Amino acid sequence: MKAMARPLIIVGSIVVIIGALLPWATFVLNDGPYPDKATLEFFDAPFGLSSFRLYLEILGLAGLVFCFVPLRDKIRVLKAVGWGALGVALINTLFIIGDGGGFGAVTVADGVTAFGGIAAVIGAAVLLYGAFQLPAEPKVVINPKLPFWAEWLILLVAFVALLLLITETLTAGGHSGVSDPYIGPLFLSYLSAAGALLGVLWAVGVTKWISDMSERHRIFSIVVLVACAVAVPFTSLGNDYWMTITANIGVYAATAIGLNIVVGLAGLLDLGYVAFMGIGAFVAANLSGAVAAEFGIRLPFLLAAIVAGIVAGLFGAIVGSPTLRVRGDYLAIVTLAFGEIFVRVSQNNIGGLTGGSNAIPNIPDLSLFGTGFNDSLTIGGVQLPSGVLYYFLIVVLVALVMFVFGNLKNSRIGRAWIAIREDEDVARAMGVKTGKLKILAFMTGATLAGLAGAVFAHKLATASYDSFQFNQSVTLLAAVILGGMGTIPGAVLGAALLFVLPEELRQFSDYRLLFFGLALVVIMRFRPQGLIADRHRRAELADQDVTGESLDDTVIKEPVAVAGAKEAGA
Amino acid sequence: MSTPVLQARDVSMVFGGLTALKNVSLNLDEGKIVGLIGPNGAGKTTFFNCLTGLYTPTTGQVLLKGAVLPGDPAEVTAAGVARTFQNIRLFPSMTVLENVLLGRHVRMRQGPLASLFHGPSFRRGEAAARDRARELLAFVGLGKVEDELSRNLPYGDQRRLEIARALATDPAVLLLDEPTAGMNPQETEAARQLIFRIRDLGISVVVIEHDTKFIFTLCDQVSVLVQGELLVEGTPDVVRGDPRVVEAYLGKPPEEVEAELQAVQEGETP
Repeated sequence: MKAMARPLIIVGSIVVIIGALLPWATFVLNDGPYPDKATLEFFDAPFGLSSFRLYLEILGLAGLVFCFVPLRDKIRVLKAVGWGALGVALINTLFIIGDGGGFGAVTVADGVTAFGGIAAVIGAAVLLYGAFQLPAEPKVVINPKLPFWAEWLILLVAFVALLLLITETLTAGGHSGVSDPYIGPLFLSYLSAAGALLGVLWAVGVTKWISDMSERHRIFSIVVLVACAVAVPFTSLGNDYWMTITANIGVYAATAIGLNIVVGLAGLLDLGYVAFMGIGAFVAANLSGAVAAEFGIRLPFLLAAIVAGIVAGLFGAIVGSPTLRVRGDYLAIVTLAFGEIFVRVSQNNIGGLTGGSNAIPNIPDLSLFGTGFNDSLTIGGVQLPSGVLYYFLIVVLVALVMFVFGNLKNSRIGRAWIAIREDEDVARAMGVKTGKLKILAFMTGATLAGLAGAVFAHKLATASYDSFQFNQSVTLLAAVILGGMGTIPGAVLGAALLFVLPEELRQFSDYRLLFFGLALVVIMRFRPQGLIADRHRRAELADQDVTGESLDDTVIKEPVAVAGAKEAGA
Repeated sequence: MSTPVLQARDVSMVFGGLTALKNVSLNLDEGKIVGLIGPNGAGKTTFFNCLTGLYTPTTGQVLLKGAVLPGDPAEVTAAGVARTFQNIRLFPSMTVLENVLLGRHVRMRQGPLASLFHGPSFRRGEAAARDRARELLAFVGLGKVEDELSRNLPYGDQRRLEIARALATDPAVLLLDEPTAGMNPQETEAARQLIFRIRDLGISVVVIEHDTKFIFTLCDQVSVLVQGELLVEGTPDVVRGDPRVVEAYLGKPPEEVEAELQAVQEGETP
């Protein structure tokens, strides 16, 4: 079959290119989810209007070029191209079938033929199959010696390119985020194509090279990253809609990093984590001077946020105290129960601090030098969207949380947390006071969540029990696991994906959660260590049999394998 | 004679209706190596767990330098008793260096705030810990693999890493639970030399081992446990010659064992 690889790739690529040029949809709908725009003309329109065709052209050409150009690790490069092309082709074809009422929409109907979608799917599948027939090669590592300024320059270019890639991905198919009926498939097509690009870069060793470089120039990377984050409002994301979305992502990313301390470092499963965010939000709301607040005082925001963090931290210690006695699954149930208690208490307004089902609305807007945080802002002639100050506040919050996580992880305390995760009994036998440290992990995580909650309440101008339900806890946990346990970029990426995807997939309203769940299953199946994995975690999951051991409750046991080895050695 | 550095006085351990240890006593003098042998199920590891605070003895006491040891493993380690495990229990996905640094944990004083802000004293402490950890890795012969994940090390190296991690706690007493299990003769010999070098640092050592040749050529003092009771204790020569030991532990006719031990002795004495 190896001899077939090249012809298959060539044929597949050409079919993809041809498929992209053919019409994709046969008919114009008269009813459907968008009666006034209910046509599939977009897919029948000339080439220039539909970006997905462009992606397919590029991917098809890339398949041809990479097939002939001498390349190391050709198999991984072409697999990335193949998956990308298949993704783009499938997404659009399925969308047309779904919205166009069946296979007729992509084949023949009313005398119109449209085999573009089918051709592209088949071509991409052949290309991918061909790629799989290539001989396996070792992973390419590139590590050229460059002067430091050259490395800085490359990092700068890489981060800016990443920023542009992200903004383009998010705004693919429309800047407003809601008006275009095709935004769903457009976004997914772009994501698929961008994924292929990143996959190729990964295959030729560029991503590893850049991440090693950023490791070497840690401070510089952080500065550039912060600068990129500050630059976001000046890009195509600089409108009200995206300011709100990115601010939400930021708040959830900060919370996810906090959860990462508890789950990713100390290995304690917490299913009620969002309650701490809720506590922070209600504390801040009550100290904000809102009319519905229990206390008629208005503390400065910074002070209120600190109080919110401290109160949440105290609750963290209380919830964490059962960890002294309870492990693993049982701890998860304890935390789950705490989360539910919080929701019930705040829903029924027990204690009168949460406003019950009325919530605490109309939290006064924050202001700085007389500018309200919800106002728009003009800097150097550039009109920035409203809510931009909240966005900046949230950038500061995320930076703070990252600082806390990063420093704690690389310290005596962080090592002890990881040791507890790996093997609690041995950690104790090595002199780690596991009880205190587990409570400290809960406290730190809760404090960060409380801070995030305080910002969240002000941003939304409301603190309602409804924002802190169990499904939020689960989504946060999924963000941490999906992104990669124990890493900062992982938590941020996970939060971004989990809170952006539902927005972008509005298109598929009914199927949205289905797709979402499916994507989670696929990622967990093929990349259990998460998208951006911790070095430790990666090793751990490479070989599953080690992971179970640390959760075992027995104090000392004799694994059969070692006992066997002992017999053999004696 | 000075007080023993580690002293177990009439330690008994009862699990439910099962008596695992019955009035076991042990004295470990400073700078000595004591061996603990006995058939499977004799209670050796249970005794170790009593010494390290993992179990609280039902009756009896364990004293370190004359003071009763606390009942918590972390505090026992802080007091100066470190151990390794029969089945290797490293932190598998931490690096070699991080494993040893974790051993330093108990001797470091950086609290949460210092760990959060990474001030100058934090960095000094961290650098000192790293230096010490590297020193210990070089001492056990793992100087070149500090960035490997510990789970990727070969078996014998994992055992040595466990010893380095235990040494990182600056112990007065080191307890080794079957340090040569599963090792070939060369590795066993290297382990013996390593234990001698540890003793030369002034650390007292207690070794559990099945390999009687190893124990008799290593230890200053040997105790034999059978069914939770101390059968014999004394110098290797005394223990080796005791017919009860031969019968209970070795299960072979004395002449045969004697011949075997003779051969070993001739092989080992310089």
